[in-house]
Amino acid sequence: MNTDALKELLYKIADDQLILGHRNSEWTGVGPLLEEDIAFSSMAQDKVGQSYQLYQMLHQMGEQEPDTVAFMRNANQFHNSQFVELPVGEYDFSLIRHFLFDHAELIRFSMLSQSSYEPLAQLARKIKGELKYHVMHANSIIKQLGNATEESISRLQKSLEGALPYALGLFEPSPFEEALKEGGIFEGETALQAKWEESIRKIVEQTALQLPDLKTLTPVYGGRSGVHTEHLQPLLDEMAEVFRVDPTAEW
Amino acid sequence: MASTFIQSLDPRVTRLQMPEDINQQPLQSEALDQLVTFQVFMQKKEGKNFEHAGIVHAPTVELALLYAKEQYSRRFTCSGMAVAETSTVMASPYTDGGISVYQLLEGEAEATTATADVYEVFHLMKRGKQHEHAGSVEANSVEDAFYKAKESLMPEKPVLNIWLIRRDDLLTVDEEDKDIWNTLPEKGYRDAAAYKAGDKLKDFKEKNEATSSH
Amino acid sequence: MYGGGNTFEKLQGTDLQNEDPQKLAEFEARIQRGEKIEPADWMPALYRKQLVRMIEQHGHSEIIGALPEGTWITRAPGFKRKLSLMAKVQDEVGHAQLLYAAAETLGKPREQMIDDLINGKSKYSNIFNYPAFTWADACTISWLVDAGAIVNQLANSRGSYGPYCRALERICAEESFHLKYGHHAVIHLATGTPKQREMMQAALNRWWGPLMHFFGPPDKMSVHSETLMRWKVKMASNDDMRQQFLDMYVPKIWELGLTIPDPLLRKNEETGKWDYTEPDWEEFKRVINGDGPLNKERLAVRRTAEERGKWVRDAMKKVAAKEYVTPLA
Ligand SMILES: [Fe+2]
Ligand SMILES: [Fe+2]
Repeated sequence: MNTDALKELLYKIADDQLILGHRNSEWTGVGPLLEEDIAFSSMAQDKVGQSYQLYQMLHQMGEQEPDTVAFMRNANQFHNSQFVELPVGEYDFSLIRHFLFDHAELIRFSMLSQSSYEPLAQLARKIKGELKYHVMHANSIIKQLGNATEESISRLQKSLEGALPYALGLFEPSPFEEALKEGGIFEGETALQAKWEESIRKIVEQTALQLPDLKTLTPVYGGRSGVHTEHLQPLLDEMAEVFRVDPTAEW
Repeated sequence: MASTFIQSLDPRVTRLQMPEDINQQPLQSEALDQLVTFQVFMQKKEGKNFEHAGIVHAPTVELALLYAKEQYSRRFTCSGMAVAETSTVMASPYTDGGISVYQLLEGEAEATTATADVYEVFHLMKRGKQHEHAGSVEANSVEDAFYKAKESLMPEKPVLNIWLIRRDDLLTVDEEDKDIWNTLPEKGYRDAAAYKAGDKLKDFKEKNEATSSH
Repeated sequence: MYGGGNTFEKLQGTDLQNEDPQKLAEFEARIQRGEKIEPADWMPALYRKQLVRMIEQHGHSEIIGALPEGTWITRAPGFKRKLSLMAKVQDEVGHAQLLYAAAETLGKPREQMIDDLINGKSKYSNIFNYPAFTWADACTISWLVDAGAIVNQLANSRGSYGPYCRALERICAEESFHLKYGHHAVIHLATGTPKQREMMQAALNRWWGPLMHFFGPPDKMSVHSETLMRWKVKMASNDDMRQQFLDMYVPKIWELGLTIPDPLLRKNEETGKWDYTEPDWEEFKRVINGDGPLNKERLAVRRTAEERGKWVRDAMKKVAAKEYVTPLA
């Protein structure tokens, strides 16, 4: 098995989940409606919890402990897409990101449930329920707010347009694309993107929102190779503020 | 401009960029933006009866069900959930002194017609407890449903209060979606049992005693 | 989380004179028998009013109480703490939802309660107006403020109003996680590196005063509080709860080698009660009346959350296209 290819895959998925889970936890206690606040917080926790499982898997492959990996790396060592590091913005942006990201996530893991790398396939089966809930929630709320008031529709539309180039960055081609396919580990970003486009289109079509022609957009790449926006390093500094007081201490 | 925003110890709050004088600004005194309320019923285990759990506010029954899942079952075992808009719940009066609500009903059930609806029946057996699902009946009207419930579902013990809900007004989690409760088993961080530090404490105390006795 | 020191309406001599004496007698007899009151039951107007006020304050204390610990939600050290703190703060939001729901059954819509919180008409527990300067403050809150809240909530869960008791039953189950988590985190700091210990001691020094305030000023038995006790609205006196808290937690703090910043604190062998320095009740009053270190910020955050979430609720309201209905139970 191509270990480098596998590691690259695990790191980018885990980093996406950790950073987005972290971002979304910023809403806990200040959400627009108590019930929504609670649901959104659960989904943020799920993401952080899932990333932990992947870092654990990497640890088993010889990488450092999950806490060290998550709290001690700098921005250029992170492989998350730039999409997930963007600030939470207003709730419309956070919802659109949740919708676009979680659709990709659900499809990615349903592909991975067939992976030849058994630990990953197993994890994919274990978190299927969580991911399904996330997408049910995203679809339900986008369909409702996307058909409601002038304000809700125009907010979501604007966020959708702003988010899409970054969302396309989720599928940044990997140098290991062929190796992953050949080894039966993962079908690849191109296949994932095609399924994702179909999946989000089905929902957007049921709303008053307009999905731009994705072919005309320039995807924002770079995240997978450690190139990030100015938002990531401050996020990491904040996340690790206490941990780095004494990384050897037990907190 | 940054100095005109509230600087907080919480970086999230600082990022909200709240104007320093926000509390002096007039409040938006519009109508209450109040949503619909839904009653939530939960089945703790396969084979157990659904029981009332509480309420959620939500715009639609679909979102109510998703909200209910996280508010009422994120920590407790759960195998099924149902929600109904509060206004669709038909409640009987409460009774007292060992009298069952069913004893207040005089008369008989009608013959069921082809257009009958299915009603779910919930009983309250003790004050302070929750309403529990008792079964379902087919009936032509709500009144008729009470009589039908009396015929087929009346327990020996007095029922203090009855709720009737048309099955069509209840939304439940589909069989194929029940895997939303299959979450990572590593959710232990939500349980008290995950926090054991007794050994650490014991070691610390022993060390302390050792040093203080010198 | 919630403490004592609720503010209740002043009792007017005429309050009960307008009530039907027979209904009032039946109502009181029911409570005497230990039965719960349910939303559809007849109840004196004063009972309804005091309960709404108390449960609403409790709900506010949960949603505002999510903020001091929330201060550290993005900075919790390590995966385990990060997940725990996210779940804990989420629980507090959940508690607010449950408590508001219980108060709603008495006829006050939730948005009205939230408006009254923002416009300052109704209060919340004073302790949440204090800042969480360091990670250790967040741990101290999780352990000791929640411990205080549990003393209060366990007492209240034996009260007379069904929906409130049911909400508290759920809440208390979750609080046991908060307490264990908080204790776990504090043990790690107190038995950790010199720097960690120092952080922990400093946090305890800051929070001891507010913790002593937490249960409210000493009770003066009045006709008022007798009525509330008879109706099982108020279940324990402020002093009793404070003593119970000291009994349970002072030894646990001491065994960690921490110093409680009160030289007079000791268990009095003769009375069997704790002696302590009377906390500054003038400060308590000042903070209740809005002049605490963070009253302004706490309300500003709540207000901002409401105002910026308004478009979401407006859109949802349009989708619902139906009117609010008072929940049944
Ligand atoms: Fe708590
Ligand atoms: Fe709480």
